[in-house]
Amino acid sequence: MSVLAEVLTVLLNGLQQGAIYVLVAIGLSIILGTLKFVNFAHGALYLIGTYLGLLVTLEINVTDGKLADWGYTPIGLEWGFLPALIIVPILVFGVGLLMERFVARPFYDRPDTDQILLTFGLAIVIQEVFKILFGGQSYNFARPGWASGQVGLPIIGTFPEWRLYIIGITAAIVVLVYGLIEYTDFGLVVRAGTRDAEMVELLGIKLSRPYLMVFGVGAALAGVAGVVGGPLYAVNPNIGTEVLVPSFLVVVIGGVGSIAGAVLGGILIGETLAVMVAVAPQWSQVGIYVLAAVVLLARPQGLLGSEEVAP
Amino acid sequence: MSDEPTETPDAAEETGSVVDRTQRELPSWERVRESELFVVGATTVAVAVFPWLFSRAPVVSGVFRGYQDLATLILIWGIFAMGFNLLLGYTGLLSFGHAAFWGGAAYAAGVFSAQVSSSPILVILAGTSFAALSAWILGFISLRRGGIYFAILTLAFGQMAYYMALSPLAWITGGENGFTGVRIGALFGVFDLRYPVPMLDWLLGTWKYVLVGGVAVLCVAVANRILHSPYGMVFRAIRENDQRAEFVGLNVWRYKLMAFVISGAFAGVAGSLYTIYSAYVPLSSFYWTTSGEVVIMAVLGGVGSLFGPILGAGIYLYVENIVSGIQQLTLPFTGPNEWLTLVEEPVVLLDGFGAYWHLILGLVFVGVVVLFPRGIWGLLQDLGGALRRLGGSAVNRLGGGR
Repeated sequence: MSVLAEVLTVLLNGLQQGAIYVLVAIGLSIILGTLKFVNFAHGALYLIGTYLGLLVTLEINVTDGKLADWGYTPIGLEWGFLPALIIVPILVFGVGLLMERFVARPFYDRPDTDQILLTFGLAIVIQEVFKILFGGQSYNFARPGWASGQVGLPIIGTFPEWRLYIIGITAAIVVLVYGLIEYTDFGLVVRAGTRDAEMVELLGIKLSRPYLMVFGVGAALAGVAGVVGGPLYAVNPNIGTEVLVPSFLVVVIGGVGSIAGAVLGGILIGETLAVMVAVAPQWSQVGIYVLAAVVLLARPQGLLGSEEVAP
Repeated sequence: MSDEPTETPDAAEETGSVVDRTQRELPSWERVRESELFVVGATTVAVAVFPWLFSRAPVVSGVFRGYQDLATLILIWGIFAMGFNLLLGYTGLLSFGHAAFWGGAAYAAGVFSAQVSSSPILVILAGTSFAALSAWILGFISLRRGGIYFAILTLAFGQMAYYMALSPLAWITGGENGFTGVRIGALFGVFDLRYPVPMLDWLLGTWKYVLVGGVAVLCVAVANRILHSPYGMVFRAIRENDQRAEFVGLNVWRYKLMAFVISGAFAGVAGSLYTIYSAYVPLSSFYWTTSGEVVIMAVLGGVGSLFGPILGAGIYLYVENIVSGIQQLTLPFTGPNEWLTLVEEPVVLLDGFGAYWHLILGLVFVGVVVLFPRGIWGLLQDLGGALRRLGGSAVNRLGGGR
């Protein structure tokens, strides 16, 4: 393998790694930017997405946990991956709506710390429910057969097909969400609300419904991320929190409320991880935090964030 | 930061007291309760009696089913939670990265004990200084952004410390295996920590508990002094409204940083004690769950009061270590192993109860956040206040009253 091919492989890997973080971070970022609500339970939405995706796509043998005790094993619909990609976001969208209505809304007027504490507690509860139902063990989320092979690319040579799909799916979704926010009336209200919610309401536009939608869309994105990212790692109740911390970093680096920022931040984090794994694997995880610290010291509002929007 | 003042009682109420229950009838109770001497004395008595009540006293310990080591652990985490609360409860800053100081101090103490000196006092000092120093550095970066960002950044840098210990620094920390080379010498070169205290072993147990208990009392005294100093008043002013504090001419950023450093130093004391306690430093002490645990303890027990977080630490560890071992949830006083048996056949409410302990804690935590922002300690205070009012009106009706 030539040096160029190696470099490109690493970069492509980074793009794939970043894609998952982008999907989770966009939701975090628009919820934080628009609703001024910190959602520490966003990782739990990813968790829900992954388990739902697993159940829709495959049939799994639950050996530990309450589901096994109750005799629901094996469990799963075995409908395949594409239905999961459509069904799961809709379901998690619903979860997001419930969360906005019953968790977030009563806490809009409470201090930030209370919001964080509440969602943190909620994240623990959701994680524990999954641990009790499915046991603490890891499940294997097999890649769909049509995407599990290697694909030949110019210069690089062979590359896992699944990773290209992740990049493609993420790109499509990002474009979709970007269009929704930038080119629709709904997006206009959301963007205006991000800038100055009070002014928008004074102009006679009710914000509670757009807020509900924003939360739902953010949740659905986390759900998609769970389905798409599920096959990459072993599925266990801890994945939610594992994806949450890097996604927060993405938001911090990119800037709150900015979709482009989340994409840029996600790619930067993904690439940093991939490059560090190739160059100095010991330091790979530390690298992203150093990156975040440097960005923060140089540009506290994030790379593409604006000073006014940041809470 | 929100401009809304949070529901917290004023300073006089906050000093709280451990012996509320025993000495309520003292004259000019309010004034006595505020005095530093009383707070420290009451804490000393409580700390001294605690292991006996918890693990050896007749009847009471049968209800608790506690043991000596758990009593020690509760005090250690109590110090941690109390220090954490100096930041959250008094300055209003929510940190999710205190594992960095707890773990950092634990490792620093461990390495110090192996390389330099095994004297427990010096080990604690070394761990604490390391924690305070790292708190200064992390605080400097994290405090560049307030509110939400602060929580996220402390969480992130706490995780960074975890990954640092995991691989790049594995040659010092032992990586995944944790640090195993801890050597702990005798206290003041005389008292071996593993040995029971002569004459008083029925009350205090080992010298280890004496060391931990002594440090705990010292920490309470220091925290109490800080909170009642003008410096502590500034912390509270910042919590209530940091903009206004800034306008008054206070350097808010500097005070926040100092609160963070003080809080980190307390976490350091606790972390060093943990190294002495377990003679081993697990890698998980750096993991963010450790930060999460101390958040839960502080909030559960009650932010904004000195003793609430210690109570929270006790409840958390009790549920984690004792309640999680309960296989079946039975009605009280049924079954053979109770200290008072009404029915020989146990009445089972829930099978496999112990496995739910984390979920239950999570639900209780959410409940406390939503319903009782002042935590269980605040709830007890309210109950006590209600009782006193009830009692007071009864006295009035009888023609007495204050």
